[in-house]
Amino acid sequence: MSTQETGERLELLQGTLDLLILRTLIFGSQHGQGIARAIQQTSEEDLLVEHGALYPALQRLEDRGWISAKWGTSATNRKARFYSLTAAGRKQLVKETAKWERLATAIGRILARQAEEG
Amino acid sequence: MFRWRRKASDFGAETEAHIQLEMERLQESGLTADEARAAARRAFGNVTQAEERFYEARRWLWWDGLWQDVRFGLRMLAKTPGFTAVAVLTLALGIGATTAIFSAVYAVLLKPLPFRDAGRLVFVEKKNPPRGWIRNPISPTEILAWREQSGAFEDLAVYTQSTCVLTGAGEAEEDPCEVASSNLFHVLGAAPLFGRTFSPDEDQPDAPHVAILSYGLWRRRFGENPGRIGRAIEINHTSYTIVGVMPANFSHLYGTPYGTIPALWVGGIALSAEHTWNDYFGIGRLKPGIGLRQAEARTAQVSARIEREHPDLKGWRAEMLSIRAVVSGDTRPALVVLMGAVMFVLLIACANMANLLLARGASRATEFAVRNALGAGEGRIVRQLLTESLLITLAGGILGVLLASWGCQGMAALAPRYLLNSAPGLAGGAADFNVLAFALCTILATTFLFGLAPALQNSRPDLTGTLKETGRGGGQSPRSRRLRSVLVVSEIALATVLLVGAGLMVRTLARLSRVNLGFDPAHILTLRVPLSGERYKPPQAQAEFWDHAIAAIETLPGVESASVSRGLPVGDWAGQFFTTADDPNPPAGHVPDANYIVVSPDYFRTLQIPLRRGRSFNARDTQTGARVAIVNEELARLYWPGRDPLGKQIRLGAPGGTEPWLTVVGVAGNVHSQGPDEGFHAETYVPDAQYPWLAGLLGPEHLLVRMSARAMPEGLIRAVVRDVHRLDAGVPVADILTMEQVVREPIAQQRMVMALMVSFAGLALILSALGTYSVLSYSIAQRTREIGMRMALGAQRGSVLRLVVGGGVRLAVLGIALGIAAALALTRLMTELLFGVGATDPMTFAVVTVVLVASSLAASYIPARRAINVDPIVALRHE
Repeated sequence: MSTQETGERLELLQGTLDLLILRTLIFGSQHGQGIARAIQQTSEEDLLVEHGALYPALQRLEDRGWISAKWGTSATNRKARFYSLTAAGRKQLVKETAKWERLATAIGRILARQAEEG
Repeated sequence: MFRWRRKASDFGAETEAHIQLEMERLQESGLTADEARAAARRAFGNVTQAEERFYEARRWLWWDGLWQDVRFGLRMLAKTPGFTAVAVLTLALGIGATTAIFSAVYAVLLKPLPFRDAGRLVFVEKKNPPRGWIRNPISPTEILAWREQSGAFEDLAVYTQSTCVLTGAGEAEEDPCEVASSNLFHVLGAAPLFGRTFSPDEDQPDAPHVAILSYGLWRRRFGENPGRIGRAIEINHTSYTIVGVMPANFSHLYGTPYGTIPALWVGGIALSAEHTWNDYFGIGRLKPGIGLRQAEARTAQVSARIEREHPDLKGWRAEMLSIRAVVSGDTRPALVVLMGAVMFVLLIACANMANLLLARGASRATEFAVRNALGAGEGRIVRQLLTESLLITLAGGILGVLLASWGCQGMAALAPRYLLNSAPGLAGGAADFNVLAFALCTILATTFLFGLAPALQNSRPDLTGTLKETGRGGGQSPRSRRLRSVLVVSEIALATVLLVGAGLMVRTLARLSRVNLGFDPAHILTLRVPLSGERYKPPQAQAEFWDHAIAAIETLPGVESASVSRGLPVGDWAGQFFTTADDPNPPAGHVPDANYIVVSPDYFRTLQIPLRRGRSFNARDTQTGARVAIVNEELARLYWPGRDPLGKQIRLGAPGGTEPWLTVVGVAGNVHSQGPDEGFHAETYVPDAQYPWLAGLLGPEHLLVRMSARAMPEGLIRAVVRDVHRLDAGVPVADILTMEQVVREPIAQQRMVMALMVSFAGLALILSALGTYSVLSYSIAQRTREIGMRMALGAQRGSVLRLVVGGGVRLAVLGIALGIAAALALTRLMTELLFGVGATDPMTFAVVTVVLVASSLAASYIPARRAINVDPIVALRHE
């Protein structure tokens, strides 16, 4: 499960897509394509989101009750399915963020020490 | 899982919208429409894959497969309604019978008893091994010694069965009740619904009188009014205070199956170590870690000590019975046998189903071969076939559970009264979660049992062979034919065992009902009229009441004679010690005992008990006359063998008593007083006008009325009750039964087992005949060509007939032989249920063999007729 480089962009670490979706939706409801764009832009085009993989993830989050969806109209007047964060999703986001930060710090610490020893 | 039930098309629309939005964005940055579309698709990845991933994530694949199987299965079943109907019905009968019997087994043997830690509760009675006496009541001396000195009990409560006459508000009624020590409810771990249970100081005889009501009595007589608690009630003409009401499921549960269900409990048992009278039954809670046998051993040590001080307790030891054993009584062997029998029925049903499915599979061989060729895996076909089987079993199971609840009602109607006492929910049948769970397990197990072998067999079609043979009606491999023969043979074997079992029960019942009871139970009404209260304290008052009652009743039209007695001659008499003038001081432990029956002069005429010697009682046998008794032949045989009993003297009660000597004036014929399957007991009859001499013995309470053969019982009952109430409106009249109902009770269990066994065996016979028939007719259909050929070559019709019928008989003979071997081993388990017939009764076995051979001949004859009617020309062209 390493983060491997493909060209210039990083593939997503497994399990992090859920977190990013939740985080993106904190600014308001958004459709799938919008979410994909937002993740790519916010990460300054570092992260590669395979758009097709987004939808099963959205479905999963919806099944768990963390996001809700309804059909609406996009800025360009196109019908699209809009997702928004539920109360449970907000709580989950806080939890996931904390978890991610602990994980990142821990990994960072290990890498830093190995760098010193090496 | 399907909360939104989002459709795949909805998902498709969303994907399309995504690509459109992405295209717009890319076009804005300068790409052409085509380039934008291609880029958007690339960025999306594999659209179909995404959709599939979505689809699989929702587990629709699995669901769709199942749904597809179910729909296909339903279509296939609907296409062959005859097959479906036979299959569903077969399984419904099998599952229904199994569920019904299981619900009885569950209610009586398995259902948890609603007492705290019921495994530690024991009934405490006593036995006297040297004399062979068991299950006797216990005395205060023993109760206190066992409780305090054995170290086996956490606590020991006692009670005694009694009758309570309720007067005051409402009509006088008599109810079974119990006098209980205050710790009874605590020992059982049962809490009252309202109010409280007894407190320890209420055990004292001078304490205020208190009573606890059963739910039934509280509802019936007091209209479920909680305000009755704390109020007074008149019991046996004494004022009691109601202190509590027990919950509805309580009262019957610790009663022995033969005992009555108490309607109320009264306190006031004061135990004194001096008292050796045997008045009580005990219920103990054993200390943790102490088993039944261990408790018996410990109390036996205590008994060995106390019998030195109390010679009349010599030889008596505590007898401990687990609460489950007592509640289920002697129904366990019957239920175990019935459960076994019904499992056999279910197995036969399964064998039949497997057979039907194999035949069906053979005719669908082409279908499976084609599906296999088109890529359906073996597993997929097995799943399809099992789904079909499950559909059949589910339908059969639902129908079966319905049948079971009817069956339970029928069984409750057949069941002996004591079985209903210990399992009041019996008539409720399948309406129990555990029973339904059992039915469901049966359904699943059955599906695999009969469905798997055919499914595996059919899922491996010989592809080329089958497809080549298409148009010839499909073939059947020798392996499959052998499997079907094995199934039929086992069906016949199982049916043999069931028929033998049923036959033995029929013979048992025939023997039981042929037993001459020693009296004529036809056309006799019995009514219980207990006399109680101050008015009937003087014995003379009771004798007068009965004199008047009998005089009045005997003038009623349709009455031939009337009499009273204490107890009824089937299982209702009490024993009493006595001594003879020839041997007035027998050593302790060898005092003779006899049933003791108080009767009015016409008793022997009313029941038509023959007098072998001497005279009956008459109007001169009163308080002022000489004291007389009549003994039965058994007593005379035991105590005056070879001598003339007339003029001999006996004295009732323990040796050295002060009761008067009675002169034997007559010898009555023996009566099967404990039921037809029990032997004779010594019996002493005394006239009610000279009663009583012994403290504690009770007067007559059963009114016996012999009707003329044409009299209508209903009208007569009303007239008799009217006459009784004309004498005293405050006297209750209870238990109005015909003597025929009374004598049926001791053999009710055998009757129920017989009825059920006969229906199971009938079912087994029909199913196994169907099995033989289906195998033979199928093989005839397969061999039409061969038979046509034989006939074309000159075979006689007779030889073709022999060929086919011979095939059937070969299966039958093999099955019967196996079945008889199994029956010889298994019917031993029924020994306890049999009477007058051995478990290996040759007659029964012979009849069963004949019946089975006849049924298989009949089952093979129809297909054989079809075979000899084959027209050779048609047959040869046929394929």
